[in-house]
Amino acid sequence: MSLRQLLLRLPRYLGVSGSPRRLWWSPSLDTISSVGSWRGQSSRSPAHWNQVVSDAEKIVGYPTSFMSLRCLLSDELSNIVMQVRKLVGTQHPLLTTARGLVHDSWHNLQLRGLVVLLISKAAGPSSMNTSCQNYDMVGGIYSCQRSLAEITELIHTALLVHRGIVNLNELQSSDGLLKDMQFGNKIAILSGDFLLANACNRLALLQNTKVVELLASALMDLVQGVYHENSTSAKENHITQDIGISTWKKQTFLSHGALLAKSCQAAMELAKHDADVQDMAFQYGKHMAMSHKINSDLQPFIKEKTSDSMAFNLNSAPIVLHQEFLGRDLWIKEIGEAQEKGRLDYAKLRETIKAGKGVTSAIDLCRYHGNKALEALESFPPSEARSALENIVFAVTRFS
Amino acid sequence: MASGWWPWRRCCSWRPAARSPGPGSPGRAGPPGTLSAADAGAQGTGRKGLRMSQMSYFNLVKSLTSAFPHRYSMSRFHHMTSAACCCSKTQSGEKYTDPFKLGWRDLNGLYEDIRKELLISTTELKEMSEYYFDGKGKAFRPIIVVLMARACNIHHNNSRDVQASQRSIALIAEMIHTASLVHDDVLDDASSRRGKHTVNKIWGEQKAVLAGDLILSAASIALARIGNTTVISILTQVIEDLVRGEFLQLGSKENENERFAHYLEKTFKKTASLIANSCKAVSVLGCPDPVVHEIAYQYGKNVGIAFQLIDDVLDFTSCSDQMGKPTSADLKLGLATGPVLFACQQFPEMNAMIMRRFSLPGDVDRARQYVLQSDGVQQTTYLAQRYCHEAVREISKLRPSPERDALIQLSEIVLTRDK
Repeated sequence: MSLRQLLLRLPRYLGVSGSPRRLWWSPSLDTISSVGSWRGQSSRSPAHWNQVVSDAEKIVGYPTSFMSLRCLLSDELSNIVMQVRKLVGTQHPLLTTARGLVHDSWHNLQLRGLVVLLISKAAGPSSMNTSCQNYDMVGGIYSCQRSLAEITELIHTALLVHRGIVNLNELQSSDGLLKDMQFGNKIAILSGDFLLANACNRLALLQNTKVVELLASALMDLVQGVYHENSTSAKENHITQDIGISTWKKQTFLSHGALLAKSCQAAMELAKHDADVQDMAFQYGKHMAMSHKINSDLQPFIKEKTSDSMAFNLNSAPIVLHQEFLGRDLWIKEIGEAQEKGRLDYAKLRETIKAGKGVTSAIDLCRYHGNKALEALESFPPSEARSALENIVFAVTRFS
Repeated sequence: MASGWWPWRRCCSWRPAARSPGPGSPGRAGPPGTLSAADAGAQGTGRKGLRMSQMSYFNLVKSLTSAFPHRYSMSRFHHMTSAACCCSKTQSGEKYTDPFKLGWRDLNGLYEDIRKELLISTTELKEMSEYYFDGKGKAFRPIIVVLMARACNIHHNNSRDVQASQRSIALIAEMIHTASLVHDDVLDDASSRRGKHTVNKIWGEQKAVLAGDLILSAASIALARIGNTTVISILTQVIEDLVRGEFLQLGSKENENERFAHYLEKTFKKTASLIANSCKAVSVLGCPDPVVHEIAYQYGKNVGIAFQLIDDVLDFTSCSDQMGKPTSADLKLGLATGPVLFACQQFPEMNAMIMRRFSLPGDVDRARQYVLQSDGVQQTTYLAQRYCHEAVREISKLRPSPERDALIQLSEIVLTRDK
């Protein structure tokens, strides 16, 4: 089955209907976690962001959309992926993840890979690059860097899939049969492991031990980040973590920043750029990812929504900041006031938060990180690719 | 004398009938390790013999056992092969020691060092990841790795030291193994391992999967730090094989001959690949000669397969206290292992149960009874012995040393262990 055929059929298999869940950023998938918790919100994708991305893709030479799905075409994994069909009608999170991935493939949002490609192009060949003369370069990007971009997406997708494992002893009757969840877990574990194994093999092919070390450590960071996210979005999602913004930043670096930052650095290492260039790339990746995440967290509070009662993540940037200003006790009180018969009235809570300082602080924080990202870019020579990276930052820090 | 074996080895091939490489086997050029694991027996004699590739696997075993009926009984057989083995244990003239003790000299602090690789700030995740590195495992793989390291070093230049990078491989092998165990336990919904509760039962499936990923990432970091791209390639192959082995386990084959080949391939990928490739990795670090790398790989592969075959036998013959995990575990998971496949030859009524993966009530017990009534256990053990002999044959090509002898002895311990 060709790639095209698979992707044409997959939505039908997964029960994706005519109007797929539209996302502002696909990275809101990043915050999908276990059954019963916060789901991503829907909104209209602005033409502006799509434009930024599609311009960026032209610069790097091909659509990044199909990247991590390519290895889904191996025999074993495509058999397993087809089995995801059996999950239709169950509540297993893997179904949501799979739908999101398929949706992404049509709406080309594999941001990490795209950024890695762009920064590779923006940096260009190293001035002392004698050892890179054997690498082939297409469209200003070495093939090893393209491979790295794919590896980054593989790792990201693998953990996206592994996030959605269900704890069997927490199942309520509404979650469907135990067997469904066990089956879903099985597929999720195997698919995730397969993607990771693929990533490891491709890393080995790059023949660069420093790059392997960087990406392996990024994986370790990501695992810890996912662990924190899963811990905080437990069933008891009315109770929020008692953390301050600095802890939040550390955890968010692990779950969102590390992979992109270290991949960008690795891309520089592949082209044999020196430590300064590598550091700038790292800084861009890190700050861009942070501002991206904060932007994603802010969406419930800045858009005019049709359904105001949509749930939102209680451990996101604006709320952590809100809690920090207010103090823990007052915040808990506010949550209590927004509850009616044990259920949280999100619309009310949203108003409460908007009335506080959390939202504006989060916007400031987002712009702070955006500026740091732009600063890092200054050391790269001006180019189309660099402008595309700047445009991504502008798009992510726009709130008007 | 071993020469009594040669006639039949020359005229038979272990290759099961009409087997093509299964859907995911990488089919790499170079070391034949990724071919059917059943080729192992033919490797040594191989080139001269007729390839009777149409001969089905079961017919082959039957013809072997009927050709040498007096060697068929297990205990006598074992005794005779010790004497018949041309690879003398005492050739080196060195004092005979326990391979585990010999190996442990280089593995002091193994678990502490592994825990250092898992040093992260997230307390609970760290605790979960360290859970199996408590010193209670068999550490079978690290032992083989360090013994092989020394055997190769001595063979190459009489160096009696184990390099730090080689010792790292021992840690990495154990970590990769453990990471896969953690995931396997979630896949199998296992409740106990090594005499204690599994990670998934204590902390839940979600966190268990992440713990497995963490251990894997730590192993990868350690692997990268060795700084050798060849070694990285060798061991990342293991990670892929482990996953493919799990996929193989999910699927099943209709045809009897295919089933056995499928079983051996799965056994290679899930168990032997790690041992084979770890051995190869330390040989690469210790010695530039590709012949030595191949010897190390073949030793590891054959011992690994034998190890798993005996593991599958023990699932039927031992009781739960000794193993630390409950028995008939494979049947309960719907898996038809060596003893079952052999038993099915004698009791064709087992076919239906195999196809439905022992899912009906009473299937597991009935299947177990059939196996114990049949010669399935004996045949599987016999097969394991063949692989061990091949391993010994290979490792004997290295220069004599206490470590080489220990590896020879280790392959026999694989056969005689009871847990």
